[in-house]
Amino acid sequence: MKKTNVEEINRNIYDIKNEDKYEFKIRKGLTPDIIAEISNQKQEAEWMREFRLKALEVYNSLELPTWGPDLSELNMDEIATYVKPKSKLNSSWDDVPDDIKNTFESLGIPEAERKSLAGVGAQYDSEVVYHSIKEELVKQGVIYTDMETAVRDYPELVKPYFMKCVSVRDHKFVALHGAVWSGGSFVYVPKGVKVDIPLQSYFRLNSPEAGQFEHTLIIVDEGASLQFVEGCSAPKYNKVNLHAGCVELYVKDNAYLRYSTIENWSKNMLNLNTKRAIVGKNAQVDWVSGSFGSKISMLYPMSILNGEGAKTEFTGISFAGKGQNLDNGFKVVHNAPNTSSVIDGKSISKNGGTCTYRSLVRISENAKNSKCSVSCESLMLDSLSKSDTIPVNDIRTDDVEFSHEAKIGKISDKTIFYLMSRGLSEEDAKAMIVRGFAYPISKELPIEYAVEMNNLINLELEGAIG
Amino acid sequence: MMDKIRLNETPVRTSVKFGINDIVLDDFTVPEEITAFDSVTIKDRAGQVTTNERIKDTSLIYGVGEILEDQVNEQSNQNIKIVMDQKNQENVELVFDFQGKDHCLVDNIEILAEEGSKGTVILKYKSSKDNADLHEKDYHNGICRIKAKKKSDIRVIVINLLNEDSRNFISLESNVEESAKVDIITVDFGGRSSVSNYYVNLEKNNSEGNINSIYLGKEDQKIDINYMAHLYGEKTNIDIEVQGALKDRATKSFKGTLDFKTGAKKAKGNENEFCMLLSDKAKSKALPMLLCTEEDVEGNHSSASGKVDSKELFYLMTRGFSQKEAMKLIVKAKFSHIIERIEQEELREEILAEIDKRLD
Repeated sequence: MKKTNVEEINRNIYDIKNEDKYEFKIRKGLTPDIIAEISNQKQEAEWMREFRLKALEVYNSLELPTWGPDLSELNMDEIATYVKPKSKLNSSWDDVPDDIKNTFESLGIPEAERKSLAGVGAQYDSEVVYHSIKEELVKQGVIYTDMETAVRDYPELVKPYFMKCVSVRDHKFVALHGAVWSGGSFVYVPKGVKVDIPLQSYFRLNSPEAGQFEHTLIIVDEGASLQFVEGCSAPKYNKVNLHAGCVELYVKDNAYLRYSTIENWSKNMLNLNTKRAIVGKNAQVDWVSGSFGSKISMLYPMSILNGEGAKTEFTGISFAGKGQNLDNGFKVVHNAPNTSSVIDGKSISKNGGTCTYRSLVRISENAKNSKCSVSCESLMLDSLSKSDTIPVNDIRTDDVEFSHEAKIGKISDKTIFYLMSRGLSEEDAKAMIVRGFAYPISKELPIEYAVEMNNLINLELEGAIG
Repeated sequence: MMDKIRLNETPVRTSVKFGINDIVLDDFTVPEEITAFDSVTIKDRAGQVTTNERIKDTSLIYGVGEILEDQVNEQSNQNIKIVMDQKNQENVELVFDFQGKDHCLVDNIEILAEEGSKGTVILKYKSSKDNADLHEKDYHNGICRIKAKKKSDIRVIVINLLNEDSRNFISLESNVEESAKVDIITVDFGGRSSVSNYYVNLEKNNSEGNINSIYLGKEDQKIDINYMAHLYGEKTNIDIEVQGALKDRATKSFKGTLDFKTGAKKAKGNENEFCMLLSDKAKSKALPMLLCTEEDVEGNHSSASGKVDSKELFYLMTRGFSQKEAMKLIVKAKFSHIIERIEQEELREEILAEIDKRLD
């Protein structure tokens, strides 16, 4: 079989680098002084400053994980944790500086906003530069704003929830996040309000040797519903960049939230992100996740089903190419009776990339009559690559229906032969099969994102097979 | 020896919070003094068994844990070598009977299947009387190394019928040569803690290794199972099937790893694990791992847990069975296709009787 190999894939729009211009860039490293200085720059409340300093102490007391990808190349002394862009927060794209605006234009954000979104947040390096929400949602009491504004203007909504779903003691990088977090989005959907059109936040890291630590906090109150879309990308630099965001989702009784992510960080990025949802009675959270970028990714969104009848679905795909180690998966804890979860994880590895599906399903003692079904599939496109499946199933009650299945393998020769006999080239046949493999995820995404994901797959496949 | 010992570590670690990377037995210390163990019955009509000759090979690729492996290599009180060859296809049966003063067995067993040989080795460990009241609890720590030469076809049946107060540790290891096959059947019923480890190395082309296991846990029994297969050769094949039932407060951790190495073209691996929960206090953990660096393979695993189907139970009860008897029937039915793989009828009957006894 003839294989063509292209050394560097052209990631076109994602790799457009702007000059590293900033209003303020904190010196590299991680000390109490640096944390205090970030807090000063942000002119934030005393409680938040103390919170940051405590989180730094926790960070210093915790060890690196003893499992998963090797993180030894990460040196926090070489990372600037706060980069304030040369732009204030704007509510009109016209007020955003040209270079930043052009970046988001080429990523298609303003256009998507006009066509199909109810609100947009755009973060550039450490701060949000643009935020908007449709007037009718504001009238219904929906709050969608950047996290700093939320901390300042809605402390009564933020304080009881901020880093309560994900504790800073959870792991080293979430402690780091607690110390240096900056930017991100806050959403509050009042009781019974249905937001039919998605909100979208886009995170762009332009600065080299920097970190992005945005905090997303979403509260969907009783009987309300929301679709939220998150996108992220960065141009490639030679040195390591770090992303350690945190997403906390509170889905109250009878509420619904769909959280979709397309992650396309550059391949010098360490993506050590934490995402978690607490789900109330008869409420549901659905996760849709596409992971394409990053040098190393450790990302395991988690649903905690605390209310009776709570539900969750996870649909995720990882695509690892040369030099990438994507250690992704999902965690679910069933903590109440009649809860259910459906997990569908897929991964594709090629050109020496490593994909790991790592998961936890825990069905607690009181989760009577709960159901969980897990399926994971891995596709290997060559024998230079690596694909591991490491699922833990922890069942603590008898009154449960639990099943798990996983498959690993290559594209079937018979299927390729069939498609070629119908007139497709081998390359097109393989690409079609890979797109078909990813279809269960792309069909769950908003259409623009589904198109973007298909483009990303085509981009990644170029030169990999054929 | 007060330090906590970690046993049955997985080949790849996952989050420490998941509590499955290893097992730590808080209430157990490794006995230092190993007394004699004489109650061994050997059925060996063809003269294939040699005893009391120290096993020279001390290497073990995987194993339960270093401290226990060292004990076997240095302090074993039973050393047994079994050679299966073409001329003698008789089965070999070893019965280790824990009774009277014989409460501590540290056995080192080597099975060599010569080229083209075929046969079955049965290793049975049983407690003859319930020694719950005795001061000394039964202790078994053993290693069994299997070397299967070209085109050999060997089956090893390991049966643990120790009582529920005993401690059971076993490390099994197979190296399988070209076109050879090693079938392992385990019956794991006894032990306050029963920790078993099996490593199979499918290094050569067309080699095959299968594992069929049943386990039963009751009261506070802890069962920890850790299987690993390395598939190096082309067209190698492994099938793992594990069926179990847990009642009372019993817990089980199953860890099974299929590791497809580069070059294992057309290799196939299947791993199925099913746990029946007979009580709402029983706990079942599973980590069925697939590791893969070869494109041209087929790997599948499935794992499931749940309680006994209430419709099945109801049906049997309408036919006059008590709930307990119906439950026993369902468990035996689930285990039956593994038990039926055992050709020796007497042994099958003994296992079925043990299930009845232990589920009473």
